[in-house]
Amino acid sequence: MNQPELIEQLQQGDESAFKKLVDEWQDMVYNTALGIVQNADDADDITQEVFIQAYQSISSFKGESKISTWLYRITVSKSLDHEKRKKRKKRFGFVQSLFGSREEEQLHPAEFDHPGVQLEKKERAGELFGALKQIPDKQRIAFTLHKLEGQSYQEIAEIMNISLYAVESLMSRAKTNLRKVLSGYYNNNDKIPEQ
Amino acid sequence: MNKQEHINKLVEEALGSVDNISRAEAKPYLLTRIRARMDRATGSAWEKAGRFIGRPAVAFAGLCMIILINITVVTFNGTTANPAEATEQVVQAPADEFSYTVATIYDNENTQP
Repeated sequence: MNQPELIEQLQQGDESAFKKLVDEWQDMVYNTALGIVQNADDADDITQEVFIQAYQSISSFKGESKISTWLYRITVSKSLDHEKRKKRKKRFGFVQSLFGSREEEQLHPAEFDHPGVQLEKKERAGELFGALKQIPDKQRIAFTLHKLEGQSYQEIAEIMNISLYAVESLMSRAKTNLRKVLSGYYNNNDKIPEQ
Repeated sequence: MNKQEHINKLVEEALGSVDNISRAEAKPYLLTRIRARMDRATGSAWEKAGRFIGRPAVAFAGLCMIILINITVVTFNGTTANPAEATEQVVQAPADEFSYTVATIYDNENTQP
């Protein structure tokens, strides 16, 4: 089934078309959300939200971009919204703790372990994901789409709705900022020998 | 290798640690969970209202409002009412309501207006 047919069937409310949509793009959506929010349960939650929104708004999808581009956009938007909600919840953590909720303790895991990273690179990758949290959102999104999803700069430009030059600039700044954050981290790390 | 060179090496290792990364796979039965969530979202208005009231923030706000109303009522009554007047009112109000003042012979004999 090609893309226009799938879109047409989805717009007609075809259940099997929706199943196909989920089966084909669930890992892409989950992996992108996981890279941004760095929490498996949150990424799973966002993945569900993305497909629900896709189901509800398929009627307004014109088919001008690829389905994957459209899903990436929804995923990035939902992931950033999710992070904002979590930050707000953290601010009201004291109030929540009065009711016995301990959710605030899970907001920022000390170290994120992406399941796709090779075993010998786990430690460095954990430090990189920690540094990613400290750079601006747009740089983080561009870096995540390029490195974790293997998207080209052109595809990232379409997803983020910006120019190719802007993506190149974002990637360059992301790498510079990551180098700064990581250098600072390693400088303050006692395990590094002085020599 | 001095410290700065060692740090630079670690930074480059970290930046390259996600090269050729495998894609993480979504948890199984995603479609079933999406369906269940969509069904929950289309629940009755009463269910939605129940879930809204049951949220800790809403419950806490409601509790604060009740406490605030109580404090306002107590403070307002405490500042305006004279204790002596209040006691008199408490005694007088039921007496007026049920007319349990001592009846005299005059009252018994003069029932007509």
